[in-house]
Amino acid sequence: MSYLEVVLDRLAASDVCGYQAGAPAATEPTAVAALALLAHGRIERARRLTERLLEMQRKDGSLGIDRVHALPGWPTAWAILAWRAAQSSQGFDPAYVLAYERGRDWLLGVAGDSGDIVQWEGHDVHLRGWPWVVGTHSWVEPTSLALLALRLTGRGDSPRAREATAMLENRLLPDGGCNYGNTIVFGQALRPHLQPTGLALLALGNQADTTGRIGRSVEYLQRELYERTTTASLSYGLLGLAARGAYPNEANAWLRAAADRTLARDASSYKLGLIALASLGPDCPLVSGNWEATPTSAVEVGV
Amino acid sequence: MSTLAPEKKAEAQQDGQFDRRALLVGVGAAAAAVVGAPLLRRAWADKATVFIARNQRYDGPLEQTIRDGLAATGFDHALIRGRKVLLKPNLVEPTKKCPQMTTHPAVVVAVANVFRNFGAEVVVGEGPGHMRDTEMALVESGMQDALDDAGLRFVDLNYSQTGWIKNAGRATVLDGFHFPREVLEADLIVSLPKMKTHHWVGYTGALKNLYGVIPGIKYGWPKNVLHYAGIPQSIYDINATLPKTISVVDGILAMEGDGPIMGSAKPMGLILVGTNNTAVDATLGRIMGFEPSKIEYLNLAGGRLGPIGDGLIGQHGERWRDVENPFTLIDAPQLRGLRRRGVLVT
Repeated sequence: MSYLEVVLDRLAASDVCGYQAGAPAATEPTAVAALALLAHGRIERARRLTERLLEMQRKDGSLGIDRVHALPGWPTAWAILAWRAAQSSQGFDPAYVLAYERGRDWLLGVAGDSGDIVQWEGHDVHLRGWPWVVGTHSWVEPTSLALLALRLTGRGDSPRAREATAMLENRLLPDGGCNYGNTIVFGQALRPHLQPTGLALLALGNQADTTGRIGRSVEYLQRELYERTTTASLSYGLLGLAARGAYPNEANAWLRAAADRTLARDASSYKLGLIALASLGPDCPLVSGNWEATPTSAVEVGV
Repeated sequence: MSTLAPEKKAEAQQDGQFDRRALLVGVGAAAAAVVGAPLLRRAWADKATVFIARNQRYDGPLEQTIRDGLAATGFDHALIRGRKVLLKPNLVEPTKKCPQMTTHPAVVVAVANVFRNFGAEVVVGEGPGHMRDTEMALVESGMQDALDDAGLRFVDLNYSQTGWIKNAGRATVLDGFHFPREVLEADLIVSLPKMKTHHWVGYTGALKNLYGVIPGIKYGWPKNVLHYAGIPQSIYDINATLPKTISVVDGILAMEGDGPIMGSAKPMGLILVGTNNTAVDATLGRIMGFEPSKIEYLNLAGGRLGPIGDGLIGQHGERWRDVENPFTLIDAPQLRGLRRRGVLVT
């Protein structure tokens, strides 16, 4: 049995998708697991997760971090992506279309705050992306997720998507890569991190590289990713490279090593879902925008 | 960033007002934690003694140093037998390239062993402020291997279950805080900060380190809700609201200049131990060349959470004047005037 089959079997058997094994269900891990199962053709197993997300949607269209906490609403972008995938994979279901449109409307009504920031050397504070928490500043990861959700549900040309694209490019470091969202502080360029760099490149898709920073971000990921890279950073990094046509030949071996470590340590649905998505490389629907499942015969055995 | 306007009260703040289940969980968990708190508070409330050890090394007898420090500062280890102790190191944004940024694993393991030998149930917890991939933070800091070798459990405070508890400080507009379950259930939290400068507030120690108990999943990466509420004010509020805390400071390899992330290594060879974190931070600041009363969060804490006046803090081990070694700072307006003697800039 391949590592991927083991990963997908574990995901398919998970009734509760949390950040760690045994943890309560949370929105983001549920959506990531659903996306992974849908992308690998395990549609029936994914359905209960996408339906669970429907139950969690609030009247205003958003989803909180879990059933208990209705706020903050940043995981809404993940649910939109899962519903978009479900809508294609499970045949046209108006409930999913309605849900992701409502989620998208909520997303379009939210923006990062910059009103009180009078001066900042590192980035353009007036370019609006998305905050983690409404009422605070725009940061790289929630903006990347929101941009991805807009792009992959047909709103990639909207003014908010264009502004978010500009914001993400503005947050890339001069030598490539990005971190949570600061660039230069008190004259020093900060250090890049793998996870936000991968996610930002995934969100930017095939955006033209006018400053060279996207290319240098690709080089940063190519330089730093290897078989010992921790699971989430490796998965996002590989998805970012796939989005730029630079998915490495070693990816499968690296993901196998990450799967072994994850299964041995905590087997969280969140990490297993990320591994399964990253294993698809350029065929991952988050990269290609093609929502048709790409099951392998080996994987189908476990459905 | 300035204080948030009332109409822009952040989601995390509003959530506590209507999320009844979270509220009830929070009150219940907090109540459970408080059951044991009065005894511990009575035992240490008036002990504002700080222990300083010099010539310390990561491969040295740290457990002995820490035991000596706790004994010197009046810590009654009999009270902690069978209790839950949460150790909180600083792992804000670890990288192997910058060991002066994060609490060394040897200090964490030594403190854990001391408390395990006291009969406490020990867990290590952190919610890294700048990284969502906590596994990366553990690997880069060397903490993962050290905790595995020592058989210590780690809890990721960024993703833990949370409960809401009323803000006992009220220096910010925040009505309360969402604390991780492990924080609310702890009988004692041991802050394990790194001795570092901080380019916004001067320096960071036992009090500021406890920003890291705030869960990122509710407050973001960085924990921007707190920045909007005011950094010094939220440092004070968090510490006023937390259950009983004490501290052991990793001042062996410290950071000066552009801390808390980009600064330079400054070998100091120090370990500080104290059962009052305000007094510990005031002493730490004096060693680094700061005037504690000029540090805004210490000014808020002084007299409320503990003493900051030199004459009010008992000293054991080394005297702070004998190990004083001013830290360089970046030249920024908010840092000018924080020192006892002039301004040192990089």
